[in-house]
Amino acid sequence: MIGIKTEKRMSRESILKAVKKNKPESLPLPEIDLGIFEENINLVETFIGNLNFVGGRAIQLNNITEMDAEIKKLYPNASKIVSCVKESALGTISIDKETDPHSLEDIDLAIIKGELAVAENGAIWVTDQDFTIRALPFITNDLVLVVSTNDMYLHMHHVYEAIAKRDRTFGVFISGPSKTADIEQCLVVGAHGAMSLTVFIV
Amino acid sequence: MAHADEAAIFNKDEAKVDWHDKALWFVRQKRDKSAHNVQGWEELRNLASALKANVLSNLDTYLLQFEENAKKNGVTVHWAANAEEHNKIVHSILVKHGVKRMVKSKSMLTEECHLNPYLEANNIEVIDTDLGERIVQLAKEPPSHIVLPAIHKKKEEVDVLFQEHLGTKPCDGDPQYLTGEARKHLRDKFLKAEAAITGVNFAIADTGGFVVCTNEGNADMGVHLAKVHIACMGMEKLIPQEKHLGVFLRLLGRSATGQPITTYSSHFNKPAPGKEMHIVIVDNGRTEQLSREDFRASLHCIRCGACMNTCPIYRRSGGHSYKSTIPGPIGSILSPGLDLKKHSSLPFASTLCGSCSDVCPVKINIHEQLYKWRQIIVKEVPQPGVKKNILKIAGRVLANSAMYHVAGKSARFMLKYAPRFVIYSKLNAWGKARDLPEVKNGNFDDWYKNRKKNE
Ligand code: SF4
Repeated sequence: MIGIKTEKRMSRESILKAVKKNKPESLPLPEIDLGIFEENINLVETFIGNLNFVGGRAIQLNNITEMDAEIKKLYPNASKIVSCVKESALGTISIDKETDPHSLEDIDLAIIKGELAVAENGAIWVTDQDFTIRALPFITNDLVLVVSTNDMYLHMHHVYEAIAKRDRTFGVFISGPSKTADIEQCLVVGAHGAMSLTVFIV
Repeated sequence: MAHADEAAIFNKDEAKVDWHDKALWFVRQKRDKSAHNVQGWEELRNLASALKANVLSNLDTYLLQFEENAKKNGVTVHWAANAEEHNKIVHSILVKHGVKRMVKSKSMLTEECHLNPYLEANNIEVIDTDLGERIVQLAKEPPSHIVLPAIHKKKEEVDVLFQEHLGTKPCDGDPQYLTGEARKHLRDKFLKAEAAITGVNFAIADTGGFVVCTNEGNADMGVHLAKVHIACMGMEKLIPQEKHLGVFLRLLGRSATGQPITTYSSHFNKPAPGKEMHIVIVDNGRTEQLSREDFRASLHCIRCGACMNTCPIYRRSGGHSYKSTIPGPIGSILSPGLDLKKHSSLPFASTLCGSCSDVCPVKINIHEQLYKWRQIIVKEVPQPGVKKNILKIAGRVLANSAMYHVAGKSARFMLKYAPRFVIYSKLNAWGKARDLPEVKNGNFDDWYKNRKKNE
């Protein structure tokens, strides 16, 4: 083991030394001029258009209290449900920090609060502070995300400003259900992650 | 074997080549449509290019900053000078945890290092979990494309492969059924794996975090179920700050497949409680490429695959004809840097039409670098007679910088002015069995003069 450790340290030093020797003269860090990317468009409409394009479904609600009835209509057979949204009473399985992710193998549905939505690409940002067990949004058969119209952003530059101050653990942009086109470029929805994605906009 | 000979083999199945050609061109068109939807697309490309140039010029500083921040987050950072060290490091982590079963999401770096055979020789099961990669793994082939690993396979071939290995029913290559069966098969592998390996799309110096992009969700399924996560990255994957992801994530998915962003863009900073996260930073020839002024910019590459989808040679010769881990235009620049003699035919697998440079999201001057490799190769690698002749003729055009400048933008120029045997000779497998478009509208001189007038 000592041998490996010394070798590792040596590689680190030799790599850094070689980089220092071989790199070109310092070039400036460019500034991003956000003005170039501004557009005056309807954020919710654009978001919904992009979400549909990536295979997701958007449902606008006047009030979050209407959500459970809609979910029951969309997923009538879901029985093993994890809800991480306090406004939903549909949860049948509760999770906490100690839950073994393997035990979520046959979850039918997960309901998670999205922190923000990105109009330009139909993505929703969620972190493990929203869903406790990192595997949840991927291992669940179907996924429901809820996002507020107040948390819509035009593009990724604004989004990174908005999430700059977070506690960085694990976070993910989810844009649509999992999919693949690896067999002859035929799009198939439902690869390894969720088979469907519904986004409620409230 | 030279690239053209390999390409000739691929061209034996004409129907398949036509399909391959069209399928990739369709992906290119999706890229165009998607790019045109973005206000300031060209500015995004400029920014990405300038950011990568800044990274390379301060790479040692950024590497140290990244390491320090990752360590603060509870991540273990390893350094590997070459493929062998990389494989040893990964293996030692697996041994420490007694891992016998491992899942891996897409990582061209681990392909480059030949990690799978190394681990398998050490009795560790390695399962590639990206569907395309699983297909080629079962077929015992390397990926033929960096984003679409099984693009060279017809659905009927996948059908037969799955019957043999996964026990599926014959289905005439029904993609829905086959994907569903792969999902079941791999789900079992995810649940049983003790460790997960992923690649890294972007590593962020100022936070010590990294981002992995997939459409299938396979990287996340692996990582969040296993107790150990090993992320392997080429040292050029660094970007300075998290906000720069805004630039790169806007470009990557659109350039790759025309999607506005990949389905999952996962941001890893800290390991989950009770779990371990490792990052292996790999050199393997990158510092050497950094020293080559003419080829340095090839390290900007974010592995989107756009240059392959657009390349008339790639589309008609298939990824395997390049015999290098990264095929296509960018592979033809990177591979000669690793082994000039072995890969000496690759920079000639190009019409120098410049389409690759036009679509590259980080604005690598790919076709110019190909031309530069040709000059080096002609000097340093002994050429067979027939190729020398072609080079002489091509050389007359290419040596004249004004002519070259014009020619570089136009594949048609090469079609019209390259002698017939350059296009139809054995060396040009992609010219065979295919009527190349006739070039109309007067001759080059007229066109050139007109162009001058219009300037
Ligand atoms: S060279 Fe450019 S176009 Fe080709 S894969 Fe790399 S980033 Fe994409």
